[in-house]
Amino acid sequence: MRSTIIALTATALLAAAAPAAAQVDPLEIIDRVDRLLRGDSSRGVATMEVVTEHWERQMTMEIWSLGTDYSLVRLRAPQKEAGTATLKAEADIWNYLPKVDRTIKVPASMMGGAWMGSHFTNDDLVKESRLVEDYDIELAFDGEDPDGVAVWEFRLTPKPDAAVVWGSIEYRIRQSDDMPLWTGFYDEDGELVRTMEHGEFTEFGGRTVPGVMDVYPADKPDERTTIRYEELEFDVDLEPAFFSLRSLQRRR
Amino acid sequence: MTGPWWRIGWRNLGRNRKRTALTALGLAVGYIAVVFMVGWAEGISAELIENATSLVSGQIEIHDEEYRPERSLYDTIGGREGTDVEALLRDIAADEAVVAAAPRAYAGGLVSSGEATSAGSLMGIDPEREVALTRFLDPLVEGRLPVPGAYELVVGEEMARQLEVAVGDELVVVASAADGSMANDLYTITGIYSTGLVEFDAATAVMPLADLQTLVVLDPGRIHEIAVATADPAASGATAERLAATLGAGERAIAIAPWAELNPVLAEYIALADSLYWIFIVVIFAIASFGIANTMLMATFERRREFAVMLALGSSPGSIVGSVLYEAMAIGLVSLALGAAVAGPLMVWFYAAPPSLEWLYGNVTLQGALLTPTMRVGINVPAWTWATVGLILTALIAAFYPAVRAARVPPADTLSGL
Repeated sequence: MRSTIIALTATALLAAAAPAAAQVDPLEIIDRVDRLLRGDSSRGVATMEVVTEHWERQMTMEIWSLGTDYSLVRLRAPQKEAGTATLKAEADIWNYLPKVDRTIKVPASMMGGAWMGSHFTNDDLVKESRLVEDYDIELAFDGEDPDGVAVWEFRLTPKPDAAVVWGSIEYRIRQSDDMPLWTGFYDEDGELVRTMEHGEFTEFGGRTVPGVMDVYPADKPDERTTIRYEELEFDVDLEPAFFSLRSLQRRR
Repeated sequence: MTGPWWRIGWRNLGRNRKRTALTALGLAVGYIAVVFMVGWAEGISAELIENATSLVSGQIEIHDEEYRPERSLYDTIGGREGTDVEALLRDIAADEAVVAAAPRAYAGGLVSSGEATSAGSLMGIDPEREVALTRFLDPLVEGRLPVPGAYELVVGEEMARQLEVAVGDELVVVASAADGSMANDLYTITGIYSTGLVEFDAATAVMPLADLQTLVVLDPGRIHEIAVATADPAASGATAERLAATLGAGERAIAIAPWAELNPVLAEYIALADSLYWIFIVVIFAIASFGIANTMLMATFERRREFAVMLALGSSPGSIVGSVLYEAMAIGLVSLALGAAVAGPLMVWFYAAPPSLEWLYGNVTLQGALLTPTMRVGINVPAWTWATVGLILTALIAAFYPAVRAARVPPADTLSGL
């Protein structure tokens, strides 16, 4: 008797859920985009251009990553800072300074500080996470953006126990090819803190990904950080041991 | 103060010497209490101001108008072009009230010993001028001041403890430079300072101005602050205004702030303490006045036959009132002499060689100002004058009712024993 009721209830629930699943599953889409952009591991070369009220500079860097836990960034240019490197391993960040040949662990109090003078913070590296694990995701918009492109817009709100920086994230994805177009980052009061635009979709290592990423701080409209990938390959052979303090200190 | 009524008042003190002594003692103790409480409160205020304005900060600080409160690296005096620091210092020193002036630059960054790293504020100073202005680097707890150009710095005691470093060790300093680069270099610790302000000592590394400017890529003409010491902290507001008038003609606006503006909470505390003196005076003398009133009532009641005789012989009620008030005045003067005789030497002692309460409590910081555990008293002549006036007034007011009662004694009934 009881099993019949359970079976009936289950059937009813499935029936109710089925139409929704057939439409858009926000989780599935975000997860798909996330995996596409990240890969299990990657290696790339990018230039970062930072424009602020007071100065502009350009850096070339080589980037390795493995999952969400490990990444290593080493500057190739400008010459004065070549070899400067940042290692992220799980929740910690170390900077290697070739000029003084020292490695410094970034203290917790400086996690909100700018990374290499850009509009990214150290926290952006550390709290970089699988979006589907840390956020509740809902579809906020399904239709055409002002340019007439069919997009989904998702609203990401942190799960109660997620250690993330943002109060919420708005994420706009192009429906035709899952390419992210625009991301808005909001603080806990719902104020826009910065926006990120993706563009120049390019094929790297058999995948089409955004080749350029622009970050604009909301309070300083004239400032930006632009990252442009020159090389990018996915699923390269990297071990966690590669992301060690010893390889951080390896001079080029 | 002559005349028979004054003499009568004075002599009446001798009638019951014990009672007179007790009354006078009561008033004197009240007087001493007021003088001491005001003295201590004044001493605390003076020490707070002294420490808030000569330990690290100046009594006046000069910045670019945009510098406070964000304290951006780019908002140097004179803006992007910087300023002629020497000329500016000369102009400031020309003011009659200015004792010393010193240029400073600041930057935020990381200070690391290798094993331990802490977020720190980097302060660039002119060692010679700084020592003439503030006390925190002179004397150092240990070591010596950094020499310009030698990649040397001094750190606070708390920072040295947290980073587990000592004089002679090397520190890596990382800072965001004005050109956007991540500036970094190695420095040798030549000394350790202590202000007693734990937060400051934990976070501030001090190096010569030129070295900091080199590190964070600022031209020699670009400084963030000029700290100014004046002869009298209380007059720093007026001095700041005068400096603003003489220096204000630059192309880019500068902000000249006296300590009361830099540390408004402390200024409010001082003002509050000042108003508390009045409450001390009123409360203590109010209590004392009831003691006097009681004694005088007793004294006049005992002597009501005498007053009756005087009235019967033709004394006017006004002169009876006068004699009692003169008596109260005489008690007041005796208490004042007694109080001053005790309080005076004690105040001199507590002023010149204040006993330390270190066994009771350690250093305390209040609104960013250090308070050492000594009981040094401060000098506040107006408050003491008011205490003296208060004492005499208390004696007179308290005696007024008994005096009026004495003058209204009905002569015939009293003398007939009714």
